[in-house]
Amino acid sequence: MKSGSNLERVLRAGHFAVTVEIGPPMDCNASVVTEKARMLRGIADAFNITDNQTAVVRMSSIASCVLIMEEGLEPVMQMTCRDRNRLAIQSDILGACALGIRNCLCIAGDHQSFGAAGRLKGHPGAKNVYDVDSIQLVSILEGLRDKGCQQGGDPVEMRPPLLIGAAWTPLGDPIEIRPLRLKKKVEAGADFIQTQGVYDVARFAHQMELVRNMGLHERTAILAGIIVPRSLAMLKYMNSSVAGVSVPDSLMDRMAEAKESAGKDKKQARRNQEEEGARIAVELIQQAREVPGVKGVHIQAIEWEGSVPEIVDTAGLLPRPTFPQEGEGDDFDGEDPGS
Amino acid sequence: MSGNRLAQEQQPVYAPCTAACPVHTDTRQLVEFIVEGRYEDALELLLEANPFSSVCGRICHHPCEQSCRRSKVDAPVGLMRLKRFVVEAMRDYRLSRRTAGGPPQKREKVAVIGSGPAGLTAAGDLAREGFRPVVFERSATPGGLLGNAIPRYRLPYAVVKEDIDDILARGVELRTAVTVGQDLLLEDLFAEGFAAVLIATGLSESRTLAIPGIDSRGVLLALPFLRTVLSSQPPAVGRRVVVIGGGNVAVDVARTARRLGAEKVTMVCLESREEMPAWSWEVEETEEEGVQIMPSWGPRSVFGEDGELKGLELRRCTAVFDSDGRFSPRFDENDTATIVADNLIIAIGQRGNLTCLRGSGVETDGPDRIRWDPGTLATSREGVFACGEVATGPGSAVEAVFDGHRAAKAIVHYLETDELLEQPPMELPHIGEIPDEVAEKVPVLSPVAAEVLSPEDRVRDFSEIERGFTEAEALAEARRCLACTTGALVDEERCAGCLTCVRICPFGVATVEQTAAMPQEECMACGLCAAQCPAAAIALKRFGTNQMREMVQPVVMELKKRAGAEAAVIVSYCCLFEITGRDFIRRAQEEYPPRGIVPVLVPCVARLSVADLLSPFEVGADGLVVIGCSEGSCLYPTAEQRVMERIRRAKGVLAEIGLESERIDYWRTERSAEASWTAFWELSQRKLSRIRSASEERRR
Amino acid sequence: MIVAERKPLAEIRGFVDDYRRILILGCGTCATVCLAGGEAEVKVVAAGLRISFLRDEKEVEILEDCVTRQCEPEFVADLPRKVQDEGVGAVVSLGCGVGVNFLAQTLETVPVFPGVNTEFFGAAVEPGVWLEMCAGCGNCILHLTGGICPIARCSKSILNGPCGGSRDGKCEINPEVECGWALIVERMKKLGTLDRLAEILPPRDWSTSHHGGPRKVIHPEAAPAAIGQGKAEQ
Repeated sequence: MKSGSNLERVLRAGHFAVTVEIGPPMDCNASVVTEKARMLRGIADAFNITDNQTAVVRMSSIASCVLIMEEGLEPVMQMTCRDRNRLAIQSDILGACALGIRNCLCIAGDHQSFGAAGRLKGHPGAKNVYDVDSIQLVSILEGLRDKGCQQGGDPVEMRPPLLIGAAWTPLGDPIEIRPLRLKKKVEAGADFIQTQGVYDVARFAHQMELVRNMGLHERTAILAGIIVPRSLAMLKYMNSSVAGVSVPDSLMDRMAEAKESAGKDKKQARRNQEEEGARIAVELIQQAREVPGVKGVHIQAIEWEGSVPEIVDTAGLLPRPTFPQEGEGDDFDGEDPGS
Repeated sequence: MSGNRLAQEQQPVYAPCTAACPVHTDTRQLVEFIVEGRYEDALELLLEANPFSSVCGRICHHPCEQSCRRSKVDAPVGLMRLKRFVVEAMRDYRLSRRTAGGPPQKREKVAVIGSGPAGLTAAGDLAREGFRPVVFERSATPGGLLGNAIPRYRLPYAVVKEDIDDILARGVELRTAVTVGQDLLLEDLFAEGFAAVLIATGLSESRTLAIPGIDSRGVLLALPFLRTVLSSQPPAVGRRVVVIGGGNVAVDVARTARRLGAEKVTMVCLESREEMPAWSWEVEETEEEGVQIMPSWGPRSVFGEDGELKGLELRRCTAVFDSDGRFSPRFDENDTATIVADNLIIAIGQRGNLTCLRGSGVETDGPDRIRWDPGTLATSREGVFACGEVATGPGSAVEAVFDGHRAAKAIVHYLETDELLEQPPMELPHIGEIPDEVAEKVPVLSPVAAEVLSPEDRVRDFSEIERGFTEAEALAEARRCLACTTGALVDEERCAGCLTCVRICPFGVATVEQTAAMPQEECMACGLCAAQCPAAAIALKRFGTNQMREMVQPVVMELKKRAGAEAAVIVSYCCLFEITGRDFIRRAQEEYPPRGIVPVLVPCVARLSVADLLSPFEVGADGLVVIGCSEGSCLYPTAEQRVMERIRRAKGVLAEIGLESERIDYWRTERSAEASWTAFWELSQRKLSRIRSASEERRR
Repeated sequence: MIVAERKPLAEIRGFVDDYRRILILGCGTCATVCLAGGEAEVKVVAAGLRISFLRDEKEVEILEDCVTRQCEPEFVADLPRKVQDEGVGAVVSLGCGVGVNFLAQTLETVPVFPGVNTEFFGAAVEPGVWLEMCAGCGNCILHLTGGICPIARCSKSILNGPCGGSRDGKCEINPEVECGWALIVERMKKLGTLDRLAEILPPRDWSTSHHGGPRKVIHPEAAPAAIGQGKAEQ
């Protein structure tokens, strides 16, 4: 075991893994996190805590991870390259491990200009860091864990036992570079991959075929991203404005039909769209599961986490597997990751 | 602190029109004066180069136009007619300047024999140099062929007289009806105290033909014929007139015969139609007037009855010149024709009359040419010089003027130094033709046609057939000038090689290697680059971009002082090319400043930089009105777009410092300046008053 | 080339409000070429300030000048004397930030204000449009990326791009911004070297960039005297 995390155990045991994303609040209200954790307890193997997602300042990922751990959930700490240089990254990683965090997702992070959106002002004037990129971040974690070595070369006596994750945008442009880029992440040391939200399963399947031909699905666990659509407007926005996301017309039509079937009743229209969205999410999960090489799903219901339990249930992914608790000592024994 | 670091101009290069003109009239500058309404300056320029400007404004063979670079685009600029316009418009001014009087006459006397353009030009120059020239003329009327032969429909005598009186007014004494060599000898002149003699008797006699029957009654010679026509008793001609000859005199004779009532006039010449030495436009007009031309025919014999002309027999001419280009006609004796005629007029060329040399010992070259040195103009006898056609052979009026200038110089030098002056032929370096790829980008502007009488009306009498340009026509024609040689000059020290000029040049002319270059030959002198150059490294000979501040400052400050706070002061940059009469702008420049409007004329508003657009405000003006040319009439592609961009930037600058950007207005001329500008000024001023009062209120 | 953009006149006016003789000093090299601070722009700024002061009925003398380059001692050598002779109270430099720095050190007692915002090192991709193409990071890696710089042209300066934000060749931050990594991929495809992108570029050493502190370049031939000094500093 590399980390001894629940997610690692699920994957090792060959179960179809489920992770779910939790967004921390924009203040210091711990109960927001705690409540979301309670609501989601038991419906996934691990829970991603975003790191200033879309460049909006939120409760830190480390702190939120600790909060959900107190509720018995296993966190996947997200770590962006935008806000920290290699010093801060490594110290946070060491701290996180000391606090018991076992999974880390390495991402570049949205550009700070994204923070100014809708009603939010964000911090578009912030200086970004990008001392390292996400692939380099993966390799730094791999170095800490497997080589016992900081990026600068100094030794790490007690190695951090981490399951290292990375993101992948299978349908991003330029599309031909995407499998290669996944390969780089795997080679850098990514144990698992969470993909950008997939709506166009056919095209995703095609990219997966290329990935399988490269044997990458054997070297890392690929979890297909599922973004639960809540409305037609959201689908349209993602289709037009979110890089790497394309929504097939058929899904768009279904959502439109759901909206229109309510006539002028706006509340009903919203309910109809939410129901249709949940159905779509379930179908996407099931279709993704059929794609060879896919080892699980990563579900994001942005500011709508309450919809997830039913979706996971309907998709037939409950109950989640459990494993007998192992001793603390084993968990922290990073000396021999191959064992 | 920054001085003018303009690159040293290389050897001056002239516009081809100037270089082609025998007297090097600065035609390019002339047109610029016209465009600017500086007609007085234009006249001075003309008279400086050519005292026979009235004459040459009508009958010049205008090599300037033949070499005009605009021909590559559409048609040459009507430079001759523009000259005529200037002289006609400035008649009163010319008289007023004449009364200024010549310099004191205190030096030697010089005798000039012959009062044609060569002799009188020389006499005029000599008078100006302080000598006392006396011109001896055989006829009662001065002017040589101009006064005594060229028909009035081409050249009214009043026109010739204008030029001659001008010259005489400089202190030239004219003695008419005196035949030197007959009434007095050359020797007598020296005895009388003349320090030098200039022979300028021209080619005053017609050549005749040595063919059978040539002495029949009814056979006439061209020059005597034309002279008689100008006399008080014009000759009668028969119904059918045949003219032998294909030159300009033959054309004059044929057209004159038509005007005298001949119904059927036929020109017979050895040359083919293309080879005819007469100017092509003259030949065309001649045909319009019903004259039949029989090219490639030569007379074999004249036949008649009882010594009375009845007609002539012609033979086909197969070649006029031999392989070396010498005159050596060949005929096909089997191809003949007969033509009946009541009169036959022979116009096959002129020759000199050397009566004046009788007993002088001056050497001659054959019976009718004087022997002279083309470099010094000296003859074999000391103190005797020769110029004009009697020396050079046949030429044009303006060439005679040129030779007259040379003769005066030669004589002045001789009298001052006792030595001869060598004057080698001088050719001015001029810019070459416009490259095709540039010419095709130049907007076509059709030439303005001067009004011409219909052929039917023309042949009725000897009225002048062409009306000169009106002022509006002259100004419209003048704007067609490409202003050759006034293109962009790069200050290489300032040039940063930034390529801005290359990118905006609408003619694709500018290049940058180390620094920018706009080859004179290609540059169309639009000035767009100068106004855009970020290093202010480009200048134009004709207009100084970035110099508007100095120009408007005194006027605006004066107005501000006078007007106090009441009226808004507006500077108006206006496109010079839209004016159809200078009176308008003169009036506007007098009447409008007291009302707060300062009109400033610029040769294309696209020559104004952003700094130029801000200058009025810098010196205290409240507003700026830019008036461009009327839609689609701009001389330079993209110019309007550039003006608009710069105005937008200037407005932006005003806004940056808290001034209303509406203080700058842009208008397009509608129809003409006269028709629209005052309305624009009034509209803008009304708007500006509102802006001003609103802004005053805010400030309070 | 260094690309700059003129500051708004109101801002410049704010700098010099208290001075009565102000010199607007252009720069004849980069700032001229990028249309921000050449002789012509000096005239525009001078005109703008004159208008502005005139409106406020303040008597201020605005002087104009332009030197070949504000960043070379020889070109600004005469300046201190001129400034003194002309009684200049403040200088507005339309040179890049380098020019302002250099003038500030040259004109010890006279304030020098920036008249332009210095933007970046870039190319004129079309008339009037400049694009950042180099970040001056001190350790060029263009040989690895098809000649297109990921540091300057990727919004995140990532060395193993493109990130997931690339869309139709544009960057996620703005559809007007080209994705540097899309350009790199396109270029390396054309060169037939796309496979080289499989190599993971390790975290780079930023000490050669400004992050390593203000930098200095010494050319041994041109500055033999400075060599020892340079070594001493290393």
